[in-house]
Amino acid sequence: MDRIIFEGLGKRYGRQWALRGVNARFVPGEVVMVIGPNGSGKTTLIKCLLGLVRATEGAITVNGTAVSSDPAYRAAIGYMPQLAEFPKELTVEQLLRMMNDIRGARTGSTDERLFAELGVESLLDKRVSALSGGMRQKVSAVLAFRYRPNILVLDEPTAGLDPVSAGRLLDAVLRARREGATVLITSHIMEEVQRLGDRVAYLQDGRLRFTLAPETITSATGESALSQALPKYISQLAPHDVEGL
Amino acid sequence: MWKVCKYTLLDLARNRFAMGYTILLFAVSTGMFMIEGDNTKALITLSQVVLALTPLLALVFTIIYFYNQYEFTVLLAVQPIGRRSIVLAQFLAVSSALLAAFMLGVGLPVLAWAPGAVGATLLVSGAALTTVFCAVGAWIAVTQRDRARAVGIGLVTWVFLVLVYDSLLLWLMFAFSDRPIEPLIVPLAALNPIDLSRMLIMLRIDLAALLGYTGAVYHQFFGSTGGMVVSLLALMLWTALPCWWAVRAFARKDL
Amino acid sequence: MIRTLILLSSLTIAQCGMAHICEVRSGGSITQALATTMDCDTVRVSAGHYQEGTITIERPVVLLGEGWPVIDGDGKGEVIVVKASHVTIQGFVVRGTAISDVNDNAAIKCISVSDITISGNRVEDSFFGVYLSSVARAFVQDNRVIGNASTPEGRRANGIHLWKCAHISVERNTVMHHRDGIYLEFVTDSRIEGDTSAHNSRYGLHFMFSHRDRYTRNVFRDNGAGVAVMFTHDVIMSDNHFEVNRGASAYGLLLKEINDATITGNVFADNTVGILIDGCNRAQVKDNRFHANGWAVRLLANSLDCVFEGNRFRSNTFDMTTNGDLVKSTLKGNYWDRYRGYDLDHDGHGDIPHRPMSVFGLVTERAPYAMVLSRSLMVNLLDQTERVVPTLTPAALEDKSPLMRIANG
Repeated sequence: MDRIIFEGLGKRYGRQWALRGVNARFVPGEVVMVIGPNGSGKTTLIKCLLGLVRATEGAITVNGTAVSSDPAYRAAIGYMPQLAEFPKELTVEQLLRMMNDIRGARTGSTDERLFAELGVESLLDKRVSALSGGMRQKVSAVLAFRYRPNILVLDEPTAGLDPVSAGRLLDAVLRARREGATVLITSHIMEEVQRLGDRVAYLQDGRLRFTLAPETITSATGESALSQALPKYISQLAPHDVEGL
Repeated sequence: MWKVCKYTLLDLARNRFAMGYTILLFAVSTGMFMIEGDNTKALITLSQVVLALTPLLALVFTIIYFYNQYEFTVLLAVQPIGRRSIVLAQFLAVSSALLAAFMLGVGLPVLAWAPGAVGATLLVSGAALTTVFCAVGAWIAVTQRDRARAVGIGLVTWVFLVLVYDSLLLWLMFAFSDRPIEPLIVPLAALNPIDLSRMLIMLRIDLAALLGYTGAVYHQFFGSTGGMVVSLLALMLWTALPCWWAVRAFARKDL
Repeated sequence: MIRTLILLSSLTIAQCGMAHICEVRSGGSITQALATTMDCDTVRVSAGHYQEGTITIERPVVLLGEGWPVIDGDGKGEVIVVKASHVTIQGFVVRGTAISDVNDNAAIKCISVSDITISGNRVEDSFFGVYLSSVARAFVQDNRVIGNASTPEGRRANGIHLWKCAHISVERNTVMHHRDGIYLEFVTDSRIEGDTSAHNSRYGLHFMFSHRDRYTRNVFRDNGAGVAVMFTHDVIMSDNHFEVNRGASAYGLLLKEINDATITGNVFADNTVGILIDGCNRAQVKDNRFHANGWAVRLLANSLDCVFEGNRFRSNTFDMTTNGDLVKSTLKGNYWDRYRGYDLDHDGHGDIPHRPMSVFGLVTERAPYAMVLSRSLMVNLLDQTERVVPTLTPAALEDKSPLMRIANG
């Protein structure tokens, strides 16, 4: 069963289409790396999925239910934004409790593994305003994984994290995949994309150009590194139909 | 909604600006009562400060707080809760915090030095203005993408309501002095929440003079219980409408 | 009271040589006693209800009530009419005149007589209360003249009404619920002192053409239109209270065409207009207190050479306004709570002059209902600007030596 289905998804801001004609299906237990140049529509795609942006056309189905105004489907989603901001005067403990309350999560029902691995325990007493950017990213990551989502949406998750924490976060991603989650990650780091991605979804000018396994791309170009292979592969593609946008 | 409201309040309780606002109001109020020996006169001056200051600060504070919370608000919007409850909760939290600041900063000194009808009217009006301009601020913050632009619109709104509107009224009175526009003036003034609050307070202070000229209309309307109820309803409407618009705009907004 | 009695006895002795006293008891007739016992110069009336139509007094007599006997006119005509000089009426409850559009029915009326004393009576529920017409030398003292609060204005007349009189003392009376509390027309060389006139539907005090009178220590409170005095010269009004006279045309004190008036030491509080000065010359307005009035002083431009000195202005909506540019009056050494000047030479007077008329005062002069903008930020800014750069307000209305603080506490 497909966990996420995009059907003819399009989003227009004013006269400008940020996203158009996106069709894709993502299944449980796969990690999809969403890549593309700046302004290619990555953020819009994610926001449509999260319900932050209303699609102009097309439909999104998540766990069998259409994304509509009913916010309940979002209970299955864990989201880690690119830059996390929280109420400055709350302590980390209060923030976690707030999220528990909003999610209606009972103590003991939450997944505390990443919490332990990233050492957020030591931050509990700290106010958000006293946290460094990296610390906030850790808290943000913990929040994304905590409520055992079967869909994870991570926007540049390792940016701002120290290498050790970044590694632990990526381990958590792989663990989530093993446990059957569907993971969407945007990233600019090709090593990461190659290492994690079951598939790479490439967006360009608001179009989803392809959704392929990294190995397919590397073997098609004869390059072993995806960072080398990808530009080659893209340059071989026929220029897309600009008229259609 | 209440959960979001509760934690937002917890955040606001330690907000430096909110604390500063409380202290500022308290300093102004107590200072006024201590410098001016005549408590009634102090109350008059204080009410003028309150009428100008509370709308401005409520507007600017609400707008800035909403923008500071923007990223977190997006994170909240990704949680399985409705968007309407997010804005409502934030509005409730911000207005409660500012109300608390007002009641501590102005309410306590007024109760200590000058309890009575004028003081009570001042507190009710100030509280009403605080919520009204919180709602207006929330509306501006939700509908404008750019923070500087939102603050600008807030300032323009404030200047318009506190200064320009009255100037227009005055111009109207002189421009149409040969027409019977007198009955229009009080209702027109009452459309502006700041003017409405001011008139409610003034009715207690300048009654002698008011009874001179505009006495009939004015006193009959505002002096009666019905008039008070209508006035308070109008102020509630001034809160409810922008608040509703803010909720609606936020529900439809692309974050 | 004692002074009155001594005076009374001296009067009666002078006339009759010896005091003869007769008594009227409850059930008896005052009229009969006055008519039949010509030899007695004092009639003592015991407590009781005396209802005998109009009692006319036609000879000098002292009529003394004991234990508040009630003389009741029963709503027909007048109650007591005095047609002789040297009459004293004291200690009665007099009530129940007819209300008439034609006749000036009064509870106690004196016509063309002299040397009258009306003291310590309670006049109730009457059309006119005490009515003196063409009377010389009279004391009207310690009476309580109380109308009926529910009587509509059209059916009320004046409490104490004096017409064409001279040398009258109106002292320590209380007048309420009449049309005018105290009314004087063509009354000269008289004293109005220590009276209280309140809740009357028109004026607390109303006089015209009444020269050389003194008004001291009276209280005029909550009368329909306050106090209005007109067409008179040489009036002294001192230490009176003018309070809570509110309404579209209500004045603490309306001075119309009054020349050479001295207004000192009075208190004007909570009135719509404290004093309105209209066409008055040489009024000396000194050491009065103006507090919480709508307009403390409205000085119309048709007044000349008035002097305002040593007055205190506090918490008024407007301290002073006028209706023209040329004001030929003098303001000096008043205390204005709005004054924001400084006193570098420490002489107690501010070094920069004070213009008591605000721009907003000017505005409401032209557009009265601009009052709704009172105390708005715009109005404050206007007034502050004018304070720094005076341009709009009349330069003549200026206190060159405003007091820095209230003298004597």
